[in-house]
Amino acid sequence: MIVLVPIAFMIATSFKSNAEITQELHLWPHTWTGSNYSGLFRDSFFAQYFRNSFVVCGASVLVSLVCGSLAAYSLARFKLMLRLEKRLGFAILTVRILPPVVIVVPLFLVALKFHLLNSWLGLILVYSAFNVSFVVWMMESFFREIPLDLEEASMVDGSSRMTAFRRIVLPLAAPGLVATAIFAVIVTYNEFLVALVLTSSPGSQTVPVGTSTLITRIDIDWGAMSAAGTLAAVPIIIFALIVQRHLVRGLTLGAVK
Amino acid sequence: MTAAAAYLSRRRRAQGAGLDRVLPYLLLAPTLLLVLAVVVYPIVYGVRQSFLNFRFGHAVGSVGLDNYRQLFHDPAFGQSLLVTLKFVVLAVTIETVLGLGLALLIAAELPLTRLARLVLVVPMIVTPIVVGIVFRLIYASDVGLLTTLRKDIFGGGPVFILDKGWSAFLGLVALDVWEWTPLMFLILLAGLQSLPVEPFEAARVDGAGGWRIFLDQTLPMLRSVLAVAIALRTIDAFTTFDQVFVLTKGGPGTSTQLISMYGYNTSFKFDEFGYGTAMLLTVALVVLALAALSVRLIRREAAERDVGWAPVHWWSSS
Repeated sequence: MIVLVPIAFMIATSFKSNAEITQELHLWPHTWTGSNYSGLFRDSFFAQYFRNSFVVCGASVLVSLVCGSLAAYSLARFKLMLRLEKRLGFAILTVRILPPVVIVVPLFLVALKFHLLNSWLGLILVYSAFNVSFVVWMMESFFREIPLDLEEASMVDGSSRMTAFRRIVLPLAAPGLVATAIFAVIVTYNEFLVALVLTSSPGSQTVPVGTSTLITRIDIDWGAMSAAGTLAAVPIIIFALIVQRHLVRGLTLGAVK
Repeated sequence: MTAAAAYLSRRRRAQGAGLDRVLPYLLLAPTLLLVLAVVVYPIVYGVRQSFLNFRFGHAVGSVGLDNYRQLFHDPAFGQSLLVTLKFVVLAVTIETVLGLGLALLIAAELPLTRLARLVLVVPMIVTPIVVGIVFRLIYASDVGLLTTLRKDIFGGGPVFILDKGWSAFLGLVALDVWEWTPLMFLILLAGLQSLPVEPFEAARVDGAGGWRIFLDQTLPMLRSVLAVAIALRTIDAFTTFDQVFVLTKGGPGTSTQLISMYGYNTSFKFDEFGYGTAMLLTVALVVLALAALSVRLIRREAAERDVGWAPVHWWSSS
């Protein structure tokens, strides 16, 4: 209840007319109206924000999954020089835990230097790097759980190591890949600070950034503000509902055997 | 052997049977390049920038360590550090106590239904910006949930939260508690459920009361899970930004200006990139120390319990 009431209040407010919000103070709308939403799409770039978010989120999650799984496989299966397989794992996890705020200013300056501000590419690169550290950390433990014998059997039968990886290891690690992808999607979609700093035009702003500029501009238009908040949360809630089985499993994955 | 022959044989080895020797490094290469380009290079670049003086967003000369020295003479920095510390200690303490309390209550009862779990996950996955909006709507003195409730139930006047420093600060703490107590709860519940049953039964047979059992048995066994959860929450709370940005922008005055907010303002509102970088790098050192500590805790925890702790970092990293 405590969890849901605040969100329900926002959604309810988003369907009230302005008069009802400011003068009558009902908890629940007496007359439902979609005017806040239609106004939002008419007067702002919300459709464009969604497009930016989906492209950036999709591309960076894909890139990080591919790169990250390969790297994780390397760390999980090979002995590297200088005991790199141990040290890199440690370093990469530290990158993951490091909050973006501490490197956001240098990121901005570097992006400025390489003309990557206000572009999908800049955001995709940054998010890929953030996500990849997470993917490596997750997938490494999944790969380690897969018995070596299976790959070796396949390699004895004449397939190369990468074929064995594709045919044997990846399918077995699929649940791990799914869980990892889900987490990466949610984190990337929700990310705000980096996107705020790296983009300043509607052509590349993601949903959280677009929403925040919107509410700074409209400030006390409560109906529009709650409509914007609701809209921004919709994709992630839908996504959570679709993947809920994996989400709950993913959440308990490490914690409950 | 001539140099050319040596080169050829090296190549042959690399292409043939020796492919397996470079393969691991080839597999690592894309990831390492990404991390080097997007994390390591900017940090190095940032360290260099932190020795520069910026005016109107442009570097106008080197100032050596002045940007770092300025940290000690900047009352606003000290102030926001203090606010951050108060925020972290208060929020994480409340979340831990509430989370642990709830976990103990529930663990004795039936296991959580899937629906309940899903509901609990909601605050964590909803975009932090939206959480900020949700709480602005709650606190708004003219139309907010609190004002509405007070009018409906007590017939009272508006409730002011974000207008006064101390209440705005507590309002921010409440937001954090709402958002992250479920995480604490879920981690600790999982920890509790994985504990062996025998010691508890033995203690009960010995006639120990609930409180004694909790202090003597539960708490020590739960210690490492607690440490991991608290460490990760601390790092996360230390750099809270999005919610403050939407809720108060640091105000009124500097009452909710967390260190990340101040660093952001210094850099992007006042274009003092050198000083801003110096400040955030200093914060980074603190966070990095905390992070290294928690990585160690996670590793030990994972080794002890033979499980991965992936979900924990995931939730802590938004």
